Amino acid sequence: MMSRPSGPVILLLLLPGFGLIMLFIGAVVGMAVAQSFGLFNLGGESRFGTEFWQDISGKRVFERSVRYSLYIGFWSAIFSVSLAYPLAIWLRKPFVGSGVIGAILKAPLLVPGLVAAFLFVNVIAYHGVLNQLMQAIGFWDGPKRLQNDSSAIGVLILQTWKNLPFALLLLTGAVQGISDDVLDAARDAGAGSWARFRKVIAPLSVSALQASIVIIFIGAVADYSFQVIAGPTNKLSLSQLMVFYRERGDWNAAAVVGVTLMVVSFLGTIGLATAAQLVFKGRFR
Amino acid sequence: MVFDGKKAVDSVDFSVRGNELVTLLGPSGCGKTTLLKIISGFLTPTSGRILLDGADVSNVQPEHRDTALCFQSYALFPHLTVKENLSFGLRQRRVGRAEQRERLDAAISQLELSEQLDKLPNQLSGGQQQRVALGRALVMRPSVILFDEPLSSLDARLRDQVRIEIRRIQKEAGLTAVYVTHDQSEALAMSDRVFVMNGGRIVQADAPENLYNNPRTSFVATFIGGANVLSGEVIGVSEGGIWMVQTPIGKLRCIADHEPPNKNTHVAWRPERAQIGAGPLSARIIARAFQGHFTELFAEANGVQIRLLTDASTGREGENIEFSLAPEDVLFVEFS
Repeated sequence: MMSRPSGPVILLLLLPGFGLIMLFIGAVVGMAVAQSFGLFNLGGESRFGTEFWQDISGKRVFERSVRYSLYIGFWSAIFSVSLAYPLAIWLRKPFVGSGVIGAILKAPLLVPGLVAAFLFVNVIAYHGVLNQLMQAIGFWDGPKRLQNDSSAIGVLILQTWKNLPFALLLLTGAVQGISDDVLDAARDAGAGSWARFRKVIAPLSVSALQASIVIIFIGAVADYSFQVIAGPTNKLSLSQLMVFYRERGDWNAAAVVGVTLMVVSFLGTIGLATAAQLVFKGRFR
Repeated sequence: MVFDGKKAVDSVDFSVRGNELVTLLGPSGCGKTTLLKIISGFLTPTSGRILLDGADVSNVQPEHRDTALCFQSYALFPHLTVKENLSFGLRQRRVGRAEQRERLDAAISQLELSEQLDKLPNQLSGGQQQRVALGRALVMRPSVILFDEPLSSLDARLRDQVRIEIRRIQKEAGLTAVYVTHDQSEALAMSDRVFVMNGGRIVQADAPENLYNNPRTSFVATFIGGANVLSGEVIGVSEGGIWMVQTPIGKLRCIADHEPPNKNTHVAWRPERAQIGAGPLSARIIARAFQGHFTELFAEANGVQIRLLTDASTGREGENIEFSLAPEDVLFVEFS
């Protein structure tokens, strides 16, 4: 007969895993937090204090970076899942060619972000493919400057392009798990296409949606490579700002930005996951 | 209705009267569920029309069709409570709040669901889920309610209980219902009329008793009640209209109000109509299955296997039994 192990035994059994987590994650996070408060100072005397936080949080560039990173993270997540959802529903039931379409849609997963950014820049460059095409078909009179646009449309396109397959992967699995009978029952009860999505598909796939949004948001909010290559030149993402301070040798300021990035990611994911739950399920259960 | 070049439903023409429960009965793949999906609008017929209260609804989408379908799998919305499941359709159809409440209250009391309203489907038993599925259809007050093998997921005891419940509610609410099943006992017990389907066609439609007692074809005779069907040759007729038929198991007498179309014919007789004990016919028992209130005997006579039912605990494997058949229990049937 199996008996349930006692509390201390369970704790002991969990200790190796917990220890690893503490070592590899906790130590890094702890180091960053400590450095942001002046400890483990690599460039001077270590002394606990809040002056780095006061200094950085008072700078306009920091505030703009937080806002900009949130903007990129939020819209990248929204655009990716908004495009992935209809595709996931379309590919829910196999049809001739659906496997090929699914594979093509997932191809960006195999392309490294930097490579994608360079390809994108080639397309939208001043003398790039897009400009030449638009002029050739007479749509534009002359070349337009599309690269490093101030609204970061290029970054959002890249983020969406790169993250859509990931969202598609998660959402397709969730949507395929919804039985035909349940969808037919909704239809039989009078629900049109939008009502079926809103009342049945979305609530039943909300976990996958939350996972997609959270993971895409965290990745996009901390974006560096797309921002450096295709992002606006007058704005810095939090990652860029962190690297900027580190390159100046200001490790404590870099740590403040790094911790801010983690906090923004954490709060943002909670906010987005909660919003998704409320919008699509209408309750917490 | 054609799937991959194969006719799933072919030349089906039937009507259902108001407040009537009709059953589409047939083996797997006979087209009964396809027909139900055509009625509910999930499939569009390649030819022909569906009339609902006289109006052609052949091209009306399911969400706009005045039918309600009870699914074999129940198809309850797993993320919604019982109450939300019940009111889902009413909200979609924008039924007024007062009427929603009135319809919900009626369904909840009729189906005894008041204790389950805040539960999710996965917290309910099979029977309770079935009742919610039924309630979800009932509150819509459709012109036709459609049942797609709704009892197939229930255990035998619950099946009987829910069967009676469905019939009671259908009668009480005055519903017009089309019920699909492959279970002949379910069809005979519940229906006002049974439409037997085979190969995409309705092969016979009648009230349950007529269907059981007067099957027109060998398929109907065997599918409903497992009749014994034998080939035979008409060898004479007496003055009282009793036909003499020579079959592999011996001479059988058969009462029929019409002459069989051919001299070579087929006859059917019910296993429970055989009078075991004495008679001109004999067979050797090859298997015996005790079923509680009756015993099923599988016997062989002149190389032909027959099935007999007896309420007595008689007969052992390997024994010979004698039996007789009354002329009114032997029917001419078309072979199909």
